Amino acid sequence: MTEPVPASFATPLEALHLDLGAKLVPFGGWMMPIAYPDGTVAEHRACREEAVIFDVSHLGTVRLDGPSAFEVLQQAFTNDLAKIHPGRAQYTHLLDDAASVVDDIIVWWVGADRFDVMPNASNTAGVRNAIGGTDVTHERAILAIQGPQARLRLSSFAPEVTEVGRFDVVELLVDGVPVVVAGTGYTGEDGLEVAIPAEAAEGFFRQALGAGITPAGLGARDTLRLEAALPLHGHELGEGITPLQANLGWVVGWDKPAFAGRDALLAERAAGVRRRLTGFITDSRQPPREGAEIVVAGEVVGTLTSGNFSPMLGCGIALGFVDAGTALEVGDEATLLVRSRPLEARRAPLPFWPQKGR
Amino acid sequence: MDVPAELRYSTDHEWARHEGATVTIGITDYAQDALGDVVYVEVPTVGQQVSVGGALGEVESTKSVSEIYAPVSGTVVQVNEALADHPEVINASPYGDGWLCVIELAEPSGYDTLLDAAAYEALIAG
Repeated sequence: MTEPVPASFATPLEALHLDLGAKLVPFGGWMMPIAYPDGTVAEHRACREEAVIFDVSHLGTVRLDGPSAFEVLQQAFTNDLAKIHPGRAQYTHLLDDAASVVDDIIVWWVGADRFDVMPNASNTAGVRNAIGGTDVTHERAILAIQGPQARLRLSSFAPEVTEVGRFDVVELLVDGVPVVVAGTGYTGEDGLEVAIPAEAAEGFFRQALGAGITPAGLGARDTLRLEAALPLHGHELGEGITPLQANLGWVVGWDKPAFAGRDALLAERAAGVRRRLTGFITDSRQPPREGAEIVVAGEVVGTLTSGNFSPMLGCGIALGFVDAGTALEVGDEATLLVRSRPLEARRAPLPFWPQKGR
Repeated sequence: MDVPAELRYSTDHEWARHEGATVTIGITDYAQDALGDVVYVEVPTVGQQVSVGGALGEVESTKSVSEIYAPVSGTVVQVNEALADHPEVINASPYGDGWLCVIELAEPSGYDTLLDAAAYEALIAG
């Protein structure tokens, strides 16, 4: 479970966020901007239609160096690192012995023997326990520039970064500052994530604003990832939830001889999953919410893990786990009991909003 | 935060404007700012009887849901139908186009017990 967080960390960009009028909220032990004055919906649209910049410095960075690093990660995480090579990124999971997802992680294979492992903020310590390495989270900021115009607008002040392709990882210099750029993100749009020394982050962020890139907060990050049906740890992933239940079997390197949770996962695959992550859409603007019961043909068949208003679709969307064996095809009706009151919905194909990117 | 001097306020962050026998109700600038982008509003129904502190509706943002409580007792005589398709006017104009409903007072003194602007400003200043 989530452990109490003793202190709130400040992002290196806190003064800038406050200067821009952002509202800061505690998230994973950090004080992070949830929205700027234009608000979550406007920031969301800016990401779908133009370009936004997020400060995601709360994500962890655990650095592994040396000739044993590959094997340590290959045995700890589910995905098969042998499928990629230096200069590439991979989405992967850390499981416990019961195959619950302890964390979902992006691994940046930065150089031959160097990996930057990026857990969720509140899971950084747990991931470090599993793999060792050095926590360099507080030495750098991470800026995510996302949206169909992200590369074009970056080209006006950091043209070097714009050639980094999807899931590529490249070390380069921007104005003489060493950065690591990855073609990754969490919005369903094309975009880049830039790890930059903490002291240089404000300059980069201000140049992005000057290039017409809209600052966006964690509120928009959450509505964007939900439209893209990307899981959020603590909601679609976590204690008691396996990658198979979350439709993420592709994150598992089944041919690997060993990784944490492998036996339990193989057993689940053989027996069949007991529940499966499923999408729902409504005709109303009312946001379905986490915790709402899912009712099909008069029976409670599951619970929502995330729900909100979709700014692009103009209606409610939600994710939740539905018991295996429930007769519920895409388009079939379900009732969501939101604060005990019925909200009519239909099963929707996922993602709600199509992934773009080059 | 904008706290118009001519209005009265509840401790639950609703505002009230007295016009003859009726009171127009909405949520305050402070409340809309705390909620963030409003994406859905459940308005009361015309004819509904409400008493002070009773449920009058709900306002939902991308991050949370908040109950709206009746600041006065009476009968709902008009609701802001425009909020169904454009709930964001609550953010843009909480004291104007973002009004929620009009209540006909059950007793004229109901309005006088609400906070005045100075008292509400003191409340939100903490």
